[in-house]
Amino acid sequence: MTVGSKIKQTLASLKGANSTLQIYAAQSQDVETQDVYHAALDMTSEVIQDLEIRLQTVEYEEPQYKGY
Amino acid sequence: MREWIEILLRSIGLFILTFALIRLLGKRQLLRMTPFHFVTYTAMGILAIFMAVGLIKNLIFGFLTLGTWFVLIIAVDYLAVKSKQFHDFFHGREMVLIQHGKIMEESLNKQRLTAEELLRELRSKNAFNLADVEFAVMEATGEINILLKADKKPVTPYDLGNKVAPQSEPQTVILDGNIVDEALRNIGLSRGWLTAQLEGMGLSLDNIFVGQVDSSGDLYVDVFGDNIDLPKPKVKELLYATLQKAQSDLTTFALDTENETAKEVYGKDAQKLDEVIKLLEPYLTR
Repeated sequence: MTVGSKIKQTLASLKGANSTLQIYAAQSQDVETQDVYHAALDMTSEVIQDLEIRLQTVEYEEPQYKGY
Repeated sequence: MREWIEILLRSIGLFILTFALIRLLGKRQLLRMTPFHFVTYTAMGILAIFMAVGLIKNLIFGFLTLGTWFVLIIAVDYLAVKSKQFHDFFHGREMVLIQHGKIMEESLNKQRLTAEELLRELRSKNAFNLADVEFAVMEATGEINILLKADKKPVTPYDLGNKVAPQSEPQTVILDGNIVDEALRNIGLSRGWLTAQLEGMGLSLDNIFVGQVDSSGDLYVDVFGDNIDLPKPKVKELLYATLQKAQSDLTTFALDTENETAKEVYGKDAQKLDEVIKLLEPYLTR
């Protein structure tokens, strides 16, 4: 497996986790719980952004592995 | 012939009347009543029966007695709410039976309570060892309540220093195959959400006996067929595992890459996810 595809895999699972977090943030009744989910959402979103930037760099450096 | 019809009609009428009067007196539980309440309720019941079978010939007198008892009970209850002294006078006061782990023999004597009876009551409160009891009090109702010694109390998450997710009451959204709209509204969900959830589980509404939504919005159902094994919702556990996997992935990337800036970013992100995992742990793992 190339570095790029590894990053893509992690990115995909993180995005999945992010959307599940979003569901829980919306579903929770308790304000404190909602805040915790929102804080977690913010942090995972930052990580996702970093990974996306890194993925672009990797694909630029090794264009032969571009795509899925 | 005429007499039994009269008794029947009186019984029905008084049954309804007594029922209404008792309902008006409130929802006090029979077991938790003070002796005074017990006597008043019994008196009203006996009066009603006497009137029904015709032991009290004059119905007016009967109703007068019943009414007086009723008004007096209401008056006493009202005054007991208003004044502590009045309450203590009518219903009695609680009495300390064990203090600092020592039995107060005088209090026992006053309540005419034997040591065996006290021990029996303690056992019924799951305190088999007298040494475990710090404090015990006999309420005005005769019930004995106890406080265990600090080191014998059941452990709570607070004692362990664990943080747990706040949990409010679940809402019962399906009862006997019918959707309870009020409960759904309370939790801010729609019928559409519910049908989508059920479709995801592969169940139809009329298969479900009880369905509850907990405070985090997860649906739990009990189906009519008890031989069907339903998977419990594992979304939270999966989410937790996914986050942990991503975190270890990031750590591996940080170790693998030779690019210094990328190494730094990966390290920082791995730390962030670690924080997220710690933050969510009480919410996702039960």
